[in-house]
Parts: sequence; structure tokens; C-alpha cells
Amino acid sequence: MAEDPSEKINEGKIDLVPMIDCIMLLLLFFILTTKFTAPEKGIASVLPTDKGQSASPPKAPVDPPKQINIVILPEGFVDGYEPSQYQAKLLQERSRLSAQNGIFPTAFLRVGGSSGIVLEGSKLNGKNNAGAESEISRISTYIETELGGEREKPGVGRKEQDPIVINCFSGLSWKFALLTYDGVRAYEIKKAGAHMGNDPKEWDKQREINFAPPRVRNYSVKELGEELYEEVHLK
Amino acid sequence: MPPGMPAGGLDKKAIMSHKKKRFGLEHADAEVDLVPMIDCIFLLLLFFMLCGRITMDQRVNDISVPPTRTAQEVKNPKEWERIVINVYGSTQAGTPPRNTILINNVKYSSLGPDSYESYIALRRVLDRAYDQATKFPDPKNSGLQLPMIVLEIRADADTEFRVVQEVQQVACDTINPNDQMKPKVSTPATMKPFVFLVFTTRKPGDH
Repeated sequence: MAEDPSEKINEGKIDLVPMIDCIMLLLLFFILTTKFTAPEKGIASVLPTDKGQSASPPKAPVDPPKQINIVILPEGFVDGYEPSQYQAKLLQERSRLSAQNGIFPTAFLRVGGSSGIVLEGSKLNGKNNAGAESEISRISTYIETELGGEREKPGVGRKEQDPIVINCFSGLSWKFALLTYDGVRAYEIKKAGAHMGNDPKEWDKQREINFAPPRVRNYSVKELGEELYEEVHLK
Repeated sequence: MPPGMPAGGLDKKAIMSHKKKRFGLEHADAEVDLVPMIDCIFLLLLFFMLCGRITMDQRVNDISVPPTRTAQEVKNPKEWERIVINVYGSTQAGTPPRNTILINNVKYSSLGPDSYESYIALRRVLDRAYDQATKFPDPKNSGLQLPMIVLEIRADADTEFRVVQEVQQVACDTINPNDQMKPKVSTPATMKPFVFLVFTTRKPGDH
């Protein structure tokens, strides 16, 4: 005959088995559904609402607004060639890198018309922490040196500084563009302090930093060559 | 019958007593003290509840975001919503690179570099989110109504930059994926732009 649970209670003992069952189920749930990766971080950005590609070009020619261009290109593409030559070299490089899914391992970063630096993509992948730290430092130092000189307007707020436009070749990896954006932000944080947070209310106090809008797809055979030609010659 | 055994044989009680003595099971019938085990289980439970993150969020593990230094903790402002757009790189989506997007745990892939199914699906999801969101007028007086939604672009480190650019353009509603990615002809009243973005990244030491 089964033991009556009320007898145990009368004896001052509580049946712990149902509680243990529940706890075990909870434990099992948490073990199976949790992961122990470090929480990801974010970099905030606001897209401009008053510029960008327009459906119709402006009727009267206007002076281009003053802005600081930062250019990121595949390494080894120097100026002085025609779009068709850039296109041919690009296809040749991609064919050479086919084993790596056509991903360019390095990139060339330049602020305006200054001499630039080479970015090592392999240092920004995987678990190469020491490599990533040193590469990020190198990029930040270069950008700080370039932006901090004559390009810095003295005596005005961050919002009134010349906008920065990052022009990255569309076939490069996202990490090169984001690392450059990070370097510019590091400079702005140094200058602006708290107004570089992720709170949308603070975003309108910041200097304008944007990625250049992509070229409209024109489906020409030399599309990438033309893009490279423009970016190589952009100062 | 073994020598020395009584003629009637041993009764059950005597056999059990003999076995308990022999195998050190004197306390076999005594109740086990469950309290230390419960303590341990509670501690384990507490550990998993506090230290683990439940995997039901919108982030997928097969995307490796690039490291940056100025990254901050992703916190949603009060009363703002967040939509995570996972953008796959060439390493995940195969060769050659393709513009594959995962949003709300649904993956949308395009068939080729000039095929825009994933962008069309993204715009459809964003249109729905825009219609349901709380909106406010653009402070720059553009006539646009901006939704109180932050779009988190979680792109793989080796995603082609063009894909990230085009996701941004689809988000701000300036190109039309239904019309071969041509610039969209629309008025501020009919546009549904998302301009508040967060690019997902990590600190160099985090994995």
C-alpha cells in the first residue's frame, strides 16, 4: 500500500521530490538554452535625411560642399590608369584570390590626399586579439594625426566641423570600413567627450560622419573599374 | 545445504542483516539527506540564470562581427524598438559572395549579385514595422516621419561592403529593390525611412 503524504507532513517531513523534479527541469532548460558568448557591442550612426542619391539631378550646378574624404581601396591600385585598366587588374586580383572567396586580405587607407597606410585584414579576424589591438591602434593613430592637423576647425563645436565621408570600395570587406569609422569615432570621442553615445537624443550634437552612398548600379562591363577610378582619384 | 546452516534455513531478515553487515549497508534503509543536493542544484540554477544568455534573441552564431575600440553596450533607449538585421558574408553564404539577410529568424537569400530577393523581403519587413511604429517628425524639417526604431546592422566582418551599403539604402528607402535597385521616386510623405542605425561589433578580446 502506498504511503500517505499527509502522514509525512504530520511527522514534520516535507516531500522534496516534486520540488527537485521541477528544479531539475528548470536547470535542464537553462543549460540547453543559454550561451556564454560575450555580449556584443554597437556603434551608433544616423543616416542623413537631407542628402544622398536623388532621383533627379539638381538643375543648376552647385559648389560641392566642403567635406573630408576618407578613401579605402584594395592595396596596389595607384592613380594614372584608365577605368578599363583598373577593371582588368581587379578581375586578375579576384581570380588570384579565388581560393579565399575573392576577399582582399589587405586594403589601403588614405585621408584626403595624404599618404596612406595599409590595413592588414588577417589581423582583424578570429581570435588574433593582440593583432587586432595593434591594428586598431595603428588605424586610430593615423586618423587622429590626419584629422587633428589643418583639417580641425578651431573654436567651433563638433557639429560645425566639416563632415567626414568614408568612401570604401564596394568589393572590400565590411571590417575595413567599420574599422575606419571606429578610428574617426575614437578621434571624435577624444574631442567631444560624452556626446558620442548610442542614445538617439545625443546624435544631433555630433559631427556628421557617414559612409558615401554606393554608386547607382549602371550594369556597365567596367562598373567596378569606374568606381575604382573615381575613388583612386578622390582627394 | 552448506555446513553450519540451521535445518530450517535462514529467514529473510537474517539474510538482509548479514548482507548489510558484509557490504557496509547498515544505513540502506535510512532516508538520504537531500538538502546538500538541493543546495547544489539551486546554486547551479542561479549560475545559469545569471550568467547565461537565452538563445532566443535575433542574433545568429555563424556571423563573426569585426572588432572595434569605441564600441559600446547595445542598450535600447526607452520606448524605442530594435530590429536586428543579420547580414552574411562570403564565408557563410558561399562563393561568390551573396547578399543573404536574416531578419526575425527568417533567412532571405538572393540568387546572384544582381538578384534582389533578399532586399525585397527586407523592405517588406521594414514597411510592416514602420506602419506599426510610433513616429515623430524629422528635426531637420525634411517632412519625413521617422519611426522610433533602431536598426541594428549585424554584418559579418567579411561581408562585401556593397551589401552593407545597400542594406542601409533599403533601410532609408532611397532605392527600390523591386525596380532593379534604381533610385526611388517618392515624396517625404510616402517614404518610410529608418535612419537610426547601430553597427554590431565587439571588443577585440571578446568572442
